[in-house]
Amino acid sequence: MRRLHSPITALASLALLLAACTGVQQAPTGSGGASASPSAPASACEPVSSEAAEPGTGGTVRVGIGGSADSLNPGLALLSEAFELFELVYDTPISITAEGEYEPELATEWSVAEDGVTWTVTLRDDATFHDGTPLTAEDVKFTLELYRDNPDFPYQSSYPDVFETITATDETTLEIVTSEPVGNFEYRMLFMYVLPMHIWEAEDALTFENEEMIGSGPFRLTEFVQNESVQLEAFEDYYAGRAIIDEVIFQTIENADARVTALTNGEIDLLGEFQVTAIPELRGQENIQVCVSDVAAGGSLTDIIFNVVSDEDCPQDDPATEDEDETGVCSGHPALKEVEVRQALAMATDKQELIAVAEGGLATPGIGLVPVGLGAFYASELTDYAFDPDAAAQMLEDAGYLDEDGDGVRECKADQDCENLTLRFNFPTDSDSAPREAEILASQWGAIGVALEIQGLDPDTLTSVCCPAFDYDVILWGWGSDPDPQFLLGVLVCSEIATGFSESGYCNPDYDELYEQQAVETDPEARLELIHEMQRIALEEVPYIIPYYSASYVAWRTDSFTGWSFDDPGLGQTDPSVLRAIAPIAAGE
Amino acid sequence: MSGRGGYLLSKVAWAIVTIFVVVTFNFFLFRVLPGDPAKAGTKDPRLNPASIAALEERFGLDKEVFLELSGGNPFDTQYFAYLGALSRGDFGVSYAFRDRQVIDLLGGALVNTLWLILPSQVLSIGFGVILGLIAAWRRRTAIDVGALSFSLFMWSLPTFFLGIILLFLGANWFGLPTSGRVTVGADYASFWDAAGDIVSHMFLPTLTLTLVLLGEYMLIMRSSVLEVFSEDYILTAKAKGLSTFRIIRDHALRNAMLPLVTLIAINLGFTVSGAIQVESVFSWPGIGSLTVQAVDQRDYPVLQGAFLLIAIAVVLANLVAEMVYSVLDPRVVEA
Repeated sequence: MRRLHSPITALASLALLLAACTGVQQAPTGSGGASASPSAPASACEPVSSEAAEPGTGGTVRVGIGGSADSLNPGLALLSEAFELFELVYDTPISITAEGEYEPELATEWSVAEDGVTWTVTLRDDATFHDGTPLTAEDVKFTLELYRDNPDFPYQSSYPDVFETITATDETTLEIVTSEPVGNFEYRMLFMYVLPMHIWEAEDALTFENEEMIGSGPFRLTEFVQNESVQLEAFEDYYAGRAIIDEVIFQTIENADARVTALTNGEIDLLGEFQVTAIPELRGQENIQVCVSDVAAGGSLTDIIFNVVSDEDCPQDDPATEDEDETGVCSGHPALKEVEVRQALAMATDKQELIAVAEGGLATPGIGLVPVGLGAFYASELTDYAFDPDAAAQMLEDAGYLDEDGDGVRECKADQDCENLTLRFNFPTDSDSAPREAEILASQWGAIGVALEIQGLDPDTLTSVCCPAFDYDVILWGWGSDPDPQFLLGVLVCSEIATGFSESGYCNPDYDELYEQQAVETDPEARLELIHEMQRIALEEVPYIIPYYSASYVAWRTDSFTGWSFDDPGLGQTDPSVLRAIAPIAAGE
Repeated sequence: MSGRGGYLLSKVAWAIVTIFVVVTFNFFLFRVLPGDPAKAGTKDPRLNPASIAALEERFGLDKEVFLELSGGNPFDTQYFAYLGALSRGDFGVSYAFRDRQVIDLLGGALVNTLWLILPSQVLSIGFGVILGLIAAWRRRTAIDVGALSFSLFMWSLPTFFLGIILLFLGANWFGLPTSGRVTVGADYASFWDAAGDIVSHMFLPTLTLTLVLLGEYMLIMRSSVLEVFSEDYILTAKAKGLSTFRIIRDHALRNAMLPLVTLIAINLGFTVSGAIQVESVFSWPGIGSLTVQAVDQRDYPVLQGAFLLIAIAVVLANLVAEMVYSVLDPRVVEA
């Protein structure tokens, strides 16, 4: 999870978040992940032609991608391109289906004892690593401990951090005691790529390049050339059966237009990253299937952030760090601290217009920080503010904001330290669509007497005015979500104001209490209820307006391979489950 | 000191000073920009403070930038650590590709860049010189106007635009590959298959770069030949009854080459920076692509390394140009 359009990432290694590949390891496109369709499942796509092709076996699938894995060491990697590989080369104890349900992978079953902290995990006994060594509970224990005990691992160390003791009671059984009850045990196992102990125990995990990448997954690495290509071959002894194809090649094609051309001239078979503007062109091509799902894969969302930090919560100098950057400026517009003003702005925002302009009409209007792609976590029962500029204007009127000098911008109230409702509006310059969205918002909000001073900022500069400085009024930005909503819900927690994780400075003890509760709630249903309630509070108090959740789209050739997934709303075509199922179309078709 | 030896020595000394200034300037340039990776890192919610501290220590970001003034060794800083490492040929470890040595990344990219640039340079110089000569020789004819228009057009065309157009045409009409150096994972039946594959991958980027560079060479060549043609000694040569071919070969070309040598030297220097736009369009994994990525990711060590490499290349190319100059035109040594 990470801000979109923004290489906010681990120290000293920043992710390449090209507009299209805003990936993080969140449901690496691979896991097709946490995308479940809510009430009305959007049919991902319809086959363009009924293929009567005879499926064969073997063959090489070529996938065009925009970036390249930053590291083959699962502990060190940051980019989605790397996690896409890990999904294919490694197994994890638990995985997630396209519908967002957790399912067994290496673990056949898992349960928690009465005490709420002792988990017993049973592993399958027929998995082997690519070098022929059997995979046992010792390997899983070694892996979990390796990730947990290396704080230098930017992502992998956070999942098992509550696993206090990990014991392999026999070859196939693992006992894990957590420091406190955890509500998202399965999620914590999702990215625990099981490493072969016999290889890794002799290595320094912080510098190990892992060039051979021995795992137990359905594909094994044959060659990796950074920034150029990755070659994988089917693992013959995969416990669930060998893939039908022989080989998968990921080819790095930096230029977005070149990627599209590579698909149309047959250089590649599958394209997962392209611009929405290429969709009409691709749809007109022969032998090419385009799938668009308005249910975002994993869930990337665009957000409008209001600076609502109160004077009491404004971050103070921390004498321990002597870091001036930790000091809050807290220069937010006073009117935005009033919930009525924020609600009025929400009512004045025409999300459909934003979606039409920024996303080619392919996105779902947003409600809260939990994207529709997160399935049951998404509070589908909530109703968004209806677009109603007149009512919005009336609300501002009632709140005491009048335009008495007739310049079209409402004046502040007498007791406020401001002249009128002119808001500073910032967006990251690495987003293609943000400038247009800013203009649209300026006209929509202008209609109710709120003016914007628009300024695009370099993402790092934006971070420095954002948080924890709170030296802004409104920011247009975005997030990519994990399959589990806990991290993103955490941006509204009071204690994160000083850390810079909270972008809005929002603080509400009721919300915090719910957040604490869901973190330790082991009953999934009860946890869902808490999470829905948190979304309701956020919608009512409007620290954010969520204009939309982005759609996902994918295109592939219909004349080379068959068996691509049509029903996965997340469209994760490089998920192991899809790449194991596809087959070449026999020659002569 | 005087004479050619002294001339060269002073040029070499200047080159070394220039490179040192560039090293220092680059080091501070990157650090005054917003977006210190250490600061950016703290914004990632999943990084805990221990993790940040550990990373900072590993990359030396916990030290002062220039001088340690709060007691302790004043030279125990990022800048002096960098100079020390450089003097040992150690360019450091990439921030973004964490487990890779910068020198390895740069080395691999440099080889790829040279593969792309050298053929383009040779072709564009060759065709540019010939075209410029012909245009000057056939001045004010249709050939001259045609060659001039063509060169001006190519010179003013944005590289990425020409690249994209050629990519579309080449890929859709002739089935040429859109990216990379070779077909990944191909099994070649013979040496000729392999060579054919490499050439087909090189064709479009090389063509793009050749066309873009050609215009400039042609224009310089044409105008300098025209200038030489107006000199008295050419008139003398004509009066002696020499053939046009001999006039060009023996009298015009050598003098007309002087401005071209400058241009070639400068271009060759910048060659190492990679044709950034061509490399991006055709996903050519050279120095240009690497630099763009490093900028995106604020990968200081790679950027510093790349800038240093480019600076050295430019300085060296200029040095070579001055040496060639001293041979072509001995007057510069005395000047």
